[in-house]
Amino acid sequence: MGSLVEPVAVAGWTAPSRVVFGPHVTNLATGRALGPRHVAYYRERAVGGAGVVVTETASVHPSDWPYERAPLASACTPGWEAVAEACRPFGTLVLASLGHSGAQGSSAYGQEALWAPSPVADAVSRELPRAMEDEDVIALVAGFADATRRAVTAGLGGVEVDIGPRSLLRQFHSGLTNHRADAYGADRLRLTREVLAAVRAELGAAGVLAIRLCADELAPWAGVTPEQARDHVVALAPLVDLVTVVRGGPFTTSAERPDAHTPPVFNRTLCAELRGAISGTTLVALQGSVVDPADAQRALDDGTADLVEMTRAQIADPCLVRLVRAGTPERVRPCIRCNQACQVRDPRNPLVSCVGEPRSGYETTEPPVPPVVPVPSVVPHPTGTPQPQTSAARPPTVVVVGGGVAGLECARVLAHAGRRVRLLERATTVGGMAARVAVGPGRTPLDALAAWLEAECRSLGVTIETGVDVTVADLDRALAAREPVVLATGSRPGPPPVADAAGVVFVDAPSALSDGASSLPDGPVVVHDPIGGPIGVAMAEWLAGEGRAVSLVTPDPVAGTLLSATGDLADANARLQRAGVRRELRARLRDAKPGTAVVEHVWTGERHEVPCAVIVDCGSRLPEETLAAARPDLPRAGDCVAPRTVLEAVLEGRRRALEVVAGEVPAR
Amino acid sequence: MSGAGTIRHLFTPLRLGPVTVPNRIVFSAHLTNYAEGGMPTDQHAAYYAARAAGGAGLVITEEHSTHRTDWPYEKLIHGFHPAVVPGYRRITDAVHAHGVPIFAQLNHNGGQASSMYSRLPVWAPSPVPDPLFREVPKAVDEAEIADVIAGYATVAEHCRAGGFDGVELQCSHSSIVRGFLSPATNQRTDRYGGPLTNRARLLLEIVDAVRSVLGEDLALGVRLCGDELIEGGTTIDDAVAVARMVAATGKVDYLNTSIGVATATLFMIEASMQVPPGYALFVPSALRAAVDLPVVGVGRFKDPLQADRAIDEGVCDLVGVVRGQIADPDFGAKARAGQATDIRTCLSCNQECVGRMGLNRWLGCIENPLTGREAVPLPPPRGRRRVVVVGGGPGGLQAAVTAAERGHDVVLFERQWRLGGQVQLAASVPSRAELLDLVRNLAASARRLGVDVRTGVEATADLVLGAQPDAIVLATGSRPLRPWWAGDEQRVVDVRDVLEGRAEPHGTVVVVDELGFHQATSVAELLADRGCRVEVVTPGMVVGQDLGLTLDLETWTMKAHRKGIRESTDLVPMGVAPTDGAASSGSTDGGASSGSTDGAVVLTLQHHPTGTDEHRRCDWVVVAVHPQVDDELWRALRHCGQPVHRVGDCLAPRRAHAAVVEGHRVAVSL
Repeated sequence: MGSLVEPVAVAGWTAPSRVVFGPHVTNLATGRALGPRHVAYYRERAVGGAGVVVTETASVHPSDWPYERAPLASACTPGWEAVAEACRPFGTLVLASLGHSGAQGSSAYGQEALWAPSPVADAVSRELPRAMEDEDVIALVAGFADATRRAVTAGLGGVEVDIGPRSLLRQFHSGLTNHRADAYGADRLRLTREVLAAVRAELGAAGVLAIRLCADELAPWAGVTPEQARDHVVALAPLVDLVTVVRGGPFTTSAERPDAHTPPVFNRTLCAELRGAISGTTLVALQGSVVDPADAQRALDDGTADLVEMTRAQIADPCLVRLVRAGTPERVRPCIRCNQACQVRDPRNPLVSCVGEPRSGYETTEPPVPPVVPVPSVVPHPTGTPQPQTSAARPPTVVVVGGGVAGLECARVLAHAGRRVRLLERATTVGGMAARVAVGPGRTPLDALAAWLEAECRSLGVTIETGVDVTVADLDRALAAREPVVLATGSRPGPPPVADAAGVVFVDAPSALSDGASSLPDGPVVVHDPIGGPIGVAMAEWLAGEGRAVSLVTPDPVAGTLLSATGDLADANARLQRAGVRRELRARLRDAKPGTAVVEHVWTGERHEVPCAVIVDCGSRLPEETLAAARPDLPRAGDCVAPRTVLEAVLEGRRRALEVVAGEVPAR
Repeated sequence: MSGAGTIRHLFTPLRLGPVTVPNRIVFSAHLTNYAEGGMPTDQHAAYYAARAAGGAGLVITEEHSTHRTDWPYEKLIHGFHPAVVPGYRRITDAVHAHGVPIFAQLNHNGGQASSMYSRLPVWAPSPVPDPLFREVPKAVDEAEIADVIAGYATVAEHCRAGGFDGVELQCSHSSIVRGFLSPATNQRTDRYGGPLTNRARLLLEIVDAVRSVLGEDLALGVRLCGDELIEGGTTIDDAVAVARMVAATGKVDYLNTSIGVATATLFMIEASMQVPPGYALFVPSALRAAVDLPVVGVGRFKDPLQADRAIDEGVCDLVGVVRGQIADPDFGAKARAGQATDIRTCLSCNQECVGRMGLNRWLGCIENPLTGREAVPLPPPRGRRRVVVVGGGPGGLQAAVTAAERGHDVVLFERQWRLGGQVQLAASVPSRAELLDLVRNLAASARRLGVDVRTGVEATADLVLGAQPDAIVLATGSRPLRPWWAGDEQRVVDVRDVLEGRAEPHGTVVVVDELGFHQATSVAELLADRGCRVEVVTPGMVVGQDLGLTLDLETWTMKAHRKGIRESTDLVPMGVAPTDGAASSGSTDGGASSGSTDGAVVLTLQHHPTGTDEHRRCDWVVVAVHPQVDDELWRALRHCGQPVHRVGDCLAPRRAHAAVVEGHRVAVSL
């Protein structure tokens, strides 16, 4: 099997590598058309070496409007043309994903009844669709054909037909949703065959026809099972050029790109079996949390797949293929599968992005990080004669105070621009909060970003000094030497969640995680989580796993309410219940005394006691601004401005660095 | 509801500083999500113009953001951007064409925001995270405060250039000014924190800055919160004291009022029908007593007599009627013409207005299919046709009304003796009674437009074709569908069986909620009121989940608590079987059953996160589950040679709004 970064033939085309950038929701559209932001986004991945780019799934018929900025194929011709043109210089094979969400769409935008094989309500929206009539089936097939014609006209290499976790065609494949008594129920693949035939007729033999095929709906009582999928792929593979194997169904749409609670490369066995079932007669792509190029190469080497979809990995680092090809895979910014910024099927229409690479999705508005500039030993003289550089002519060293992700990113970008950097960190190691909280099930991969930032800084020559307690006098010394200073001093614990609670032990979340469960007093733990983000849930799970009795106090009707954005909400609540965590829902901590905490219902005011030896506070924190208060004009980044997430820290660290490089008066 | 009486005050003009409003009906500020790319749109202009044409005395637009750090939701008007001015001009010209003044609301949402769109730190007085957005804001320093104030002045200048007659400062329910005023969010120790005079400093500095930009010929208003309804928040005494400070500046022309905090107690700001009308009138009343400025009162004004009475009683000088004019843009004109009974009264159902705002969708109305679509012209009718509508629920009624409005000759058949379909049932629960206005309004319109309404008629294919239609609209609704696990157990009944009186559950009742809306919670409340011991179970994560969108979840939860209704989640019904005749102990442990034990059943529920089975001994099981289409007539007529259209539940059983928009759309297409 070939190398991940070598070309591969797909039908009449050659992709420059075996790495696929798969279709995903971006919210980058202009109305329902692929827009300039899409073009810049896909182009960046093409530049970086992606072999195949599959554009965001376009609806093939106006009856499908699953989210506000969902592309509509009939509006996409100019966008596809622009993407094709932008990617052409890099040889990238660009395919248009075409689909229809059926009952998993939304009626909120089009305000018409949803289409489905049968009137089965969607598990998520609870909305009943209408069963498609014969004329609807004809219109759907025609829609696929028309969309394919547009894609070909636009200069794309072909199309990928969506039969994945949110697709109407999969709803026809599945016993969960197809209860039809007609020919489309007797043969649940019939509609897919008709669609593929119509699409092929538009493509001709040279055009690439790919399918994204759900091979496990994770609902074995009636859904598509891997056993059925074996038959499906045997039936469909001869009709197509590439099969991407995915999983997930009406109850598990987030299983396609799950967060780090699911191990990486989770579809390996499924994919290998399906590829075996067709004896390699059609190309097969592995999908599913493949973020490490070594894992991807292994899947090629062991016959699991012919190509590998690495979507989130290329959101995190568009240059993945180029860096692997250069023999420096360690330079690839890791995807930590946090799903905090890239899963944007969200009615608020956030743009796709990445906590570690916040320029992703913002290619047209956020400036790029300059390519690495080695610190020059000589500078060109105005007369044109090279002169040895004097220390006075070299830009001064930049002092970055704080070695969390904000400080590390700031230092990294400064070093890219050729600046000498001293990074001063109070603790004995760098990484800050991002490294400290990477504890517990599904959480340990999170420290990879901080580790990568540290490694990049070191290889770029940043001087990292740990165990340094920076004083105001130190700042003044640097400033006196005309050395720019950036503060990234992080956060400190917020006030205790209950005032006047004598004898009650409070521990802030990072301390509990970094000091270990054994550092907590024996007895039941109350996890105070007024935020509902990943930390509170992870804390409760981790402590329960350590054998503690845990109550999780949340003001919301469910635990971890913000996890709906990462796709982990339902799973998180199920895991908590399985772990025996007592969820105190719609509750606030009202009082605490040794041995007991009092929680109050947020609306009814009803109170009850919860056993409690220690309260672990997962509430919001306060900026650590001792230095900032003393020297308020210094630029700041990350939690010392306001404690937030990794994304804001990285973004602000980078912005401050670029401002220093540009010699701008730094933002305060 | 307001009794007989004539309107005495509502249509008297009033001076608000330099601006005279022709009447006291204010289309007060509210979000619409009509902005695109931060800019006002033609839809804004058409939307406000429709209310001006329909008799509003004053239009106050939705908020205009005063600073780039303020971007809490996607479709916010970026008032700080100079490019807004042409759009402002289109809005003000459209409203002025009807002789109605229009003000712009200026705002910075402060900490009640996230950085999702702006990618900038959120600004607030202190690093106190908002209860909804949960992002720690940056505590602004003095330079940033000056920047905030300058932002208000900039937008006031844009408003002046854009032709507005005045501006209103939103200091009430989602605002950096509110953040400074409220002790709950202002923890500062500098001259902007501490005593109320300090906390009000930002407001007064903004008033100074804005007035100096506006000059003398534009009005300036301040909207204040009378009670934040949160712990440690602003109360009415603070509000009165702030009102006095504002009035003392001599630079403000009127006060508007509000109650609650948008990101904590929204259910009391845009109260649903669960909250009695007039609930917030103590706020204007107190302010009006304290200061000599005109005061706007708000809070579920549904009809003009009620509004007139508030003025008559000295509670306020003007009334904010927002949802009332969303539902019927001609609220004012109809009241003035003595046709108040023709007003399409707001239901306060919150389904398509409030319920869509939090989801980043354009504002609509369950009753008014044109709301949110004012800028989209309807095609002209294609000549008079004979239209037969079957079904007198909201879908059929709306089809008939729209068709008749467009000049068609319409006959409507309804099987029942009463119109309204399932809305009649839903509204039969006391706390949901206002929903019935949907039927009342549609039926009145149908009557007024001359629709031939025939109730108590079972429409057969022959009957329909015998009416010699040019077009047929079927709105035949849906029928209960028995869940697979219920078998033929007689003690398992549908919500409709209960509401229509076919079943009278007693004793211990388990209500199964698979719909997540009012069906289960309403019947649970009804049965609890009848003395049943009730538990609502759902396979979902929350009972009545979508009540959260309409701001009914808080009030439901409080009522359920009071009435002893239990809620259990993550439970999937797996089967039901008769008991062996032993006494029913029910799901609520202990205590004697309050009803008969004959025929008690055991319901098996699977807790799906853990895979464990649970059992409920109960006297009755009431299911709120998806129904099935009632489309027999469609099957009989679909190939009859005439166009046959389905709307509402007979196409796919959904909520009332789907029926209304489909009825309207089909009628427009005829």
